Amino acid sequence: MSIPPGSIIVSDWYHCADSREFFSKILHKKKRRKFGLLEAPMMPPHMNVDIVRYKVLISGKSGVGKSALAARLAGLELPKMHYETTGIETTVVFWPVRLKDSGRVLFFRFELWDCGESAMRRFDHMLPSCKEQVDGILFLFSFTDRGSFDDLSNQISRITESSDRVVKLVVGTKFDLFMHTDVTESDIAHFQEVWGLPVFRVGGDVSAGLGEVAPLLNALAENLWHQDCMAASTVSISPQAALRETGSEITV
Amino acid sequence: MLQAETLQLLCLTASSGVPLFSRGSTKQLPFSVVGSLNGVHMFGAGHGAQLSSCETDRGSRVVWEVFQESLMLIAVSGGGGSGISELQLRRLLENVWNCMVLVLGQDELANIRNVERLKRELRSCYRLFDLLLERVNDEQGFMGDLTRCADCLLPSTSALLQDALDSFAQAAESEFGCLLVRGRVAQATEKWWSRLTSQEVVVLSILMHSLSNASSCDYPVFLPQGSPTVAIRLLGFQLLPGVHVCVLCGPKPSLYKAENELVSRFWSTLVENLRSCLEQADRSTVPPSVSLRWDVQALLLINRESRRAVTVCPRVRGGAPAEATPLLSSRRRLELLRLFYTFAVTRYFTSQETSVSSASEDFPQGFTHVPVQCYLVTEECKCYGLQSPQHQLFLLMDLSVPTFALRTVATQTLSAITSATAF
Repeated sequence: MSIPPGSIIVSDWYHCADSREFFSKILHKKKRRKFGLLEAPMMPPHMNVDIVRYKVLISGKSGVGKSALAARLAGLELPKMHYETTGIETTVVFWPVRLKDSGRVLFFRFELWDCGESAMRRFDHMLPSCKEQVDGILFLFSFTDRGSFDDLSNQISRITESSDRVVKLVVGTKFDLFMHTDVTESDIAHFQEVWGLPVFRVGGDVSAGLGEVAPLLNALAENLWHQDCMAASTVSISPQAALRETGSEITV
Repeated sequence: MLQAETLQLLCLTASSGVPLFSRGSTKQLPFSVVGSLNGVHMFGAGHGAQLSSCETDRGSRVVWEVFQESLMLIAVSGGGGSGISELQLRRLLENVWNCMVLVLGQDELANIRNVERLKRELRSCYRLFDLLLERVNDEQGFMGDLTRCADCLLPSTSALLQDALDSFAQAAESEFGCLLVRGRVAQATEKWWSRLTSQEVVVLSILMHSLSNASSCDYPVFLPQGSPTVAIRLLGFQLLPGVHVCVLCGPKPSLYKAENELVSRFWSTLVENLRSCLEQADRSTVPPSVSLRWDVQALLLINRESRRAVTVCPRVRGGAPAEATPLLSSRRRLELLRLFYTFAVTRYFTSQETSVSSASEDFPQGFTHVPVQCYLVTEECKCYGLQSPQHQLFLLMDLSVPTFALRTVATQTLSAITSATAF
């Protein structure tokens, strides 16, 4: 289902010198820049860098770290304490990517949707709202909570239908707390075999910078782009892909 | 009982005294103390007496309040001269209750079916409780939790922003919209002021402030007075870091739709105006056109009709003579301002809502008139309060200002702000 990393985009691009001027747009004083909804990274107009927008849902049991993952991917300060999310919160993340074949650079704009589990249970409109126009889903489990791992298959079948055209990735959180781990490597290998979904591991300090979030963001970008390309090639004029091209923006 | 400068919030079921949560100071009160606090209140109730507050000889304070005959909230503040007044604790309990209703709805709280479940559900309010506890000693000049007024920012370009907000709210099928800059209300639709109660406006501002990291949000909220049992949706959008717009609406539009179709349509042309609002907010809550005397240390101005308030606490004093004493720290000035506000509204500018047991001065009793001005001279500053049917002003000034001139300075300051901003 998913494609091997590095087959469409340059996978360690953030290390390369030619990526610097792009990554500098999402950094501010060596930290990640915050963007409001009216803002986007500004590139000189002649460079013609398109922004492609995707909606990504973060799904997982209460307390696995959905909000923390969103903060981590956006480079925001991680919450010091666990607070329940009592509604839907979204987080915008910009990520520059160089396509392997054409050498073209794109700014991916992921909007991460995060909804607290109890809010989802109490209010019927939450799940449909999260699923509206969704392009990808991150399924979360925590390495310290066996139950959240066992629940994965349930979750995947509950939230998605086989006909859905969405990218699915699995993320294990709190990987740094390996002392307390409840989920073994062979569990994960088995899961990957059955579901054919890649599993990412996150946890610990965010001080590691871009390298820490790059594998997941790159995989997300790669799979979403691949999904759109496939859709565009199977249908002669894919309305969604076409819409996305026109909907892309350069600067706001 | 507790160390100085600490504050603890307890919640128990009113009928059976089962502890539901405790927030605040890192060191929790031992269970036996919590039990006694509940017990002494229950003892009073059994004898037809309602225990509402007490103060220990070392300056600790305890305030009790039962809501909907269902939940008991207790606030305990440490002694040691910390300046937390009874009014402030009482308002804290009221805000805590309103936040619980905001998130969970009144039904859940008034009819407890399953204590363990309620305990779990109350956890979803912790973020708001912690924010309210922080606000008691806030250093940024937020006072809405005490004054029951929305903390406001008076922007220079308000007409443009008002138009944009009105049309944005209308497009989102809402009559209730509000624009916040650095957590302060910069603009709101007419109904936001006229149809929501001031307590609702305060807790909604706090909820939005707690969500300030999110790019957008869709939160089900119950309005404590307006809609305590039916949830409505609060849609919030971060236009720029530090600038948020929110609307209260029904089932439509979806968050996705509102964000992708409405936000840039109504706001993208105003980016520069919003940025200048942010710049202003980082300097002062009043526009540069308002010039204040250099010897004004801090002030709180309340519009009594719309229940809006601005707090000004200058960071530097412009135009001060060389021999002027340096400004007190802003933390101290805000603390003094809160204390003076409490002093004035509990003793002189009393109304039903501010009457607490500590208002012990005999002087007002037997008089039918209402005091309109009051002053207080302390070792640190001079304070002056004045009220008109429309405004209340609480002013902290340098000791160098002659006491006989306080009234003139206060009236001048009031008209300087109201004439420049139409506040």
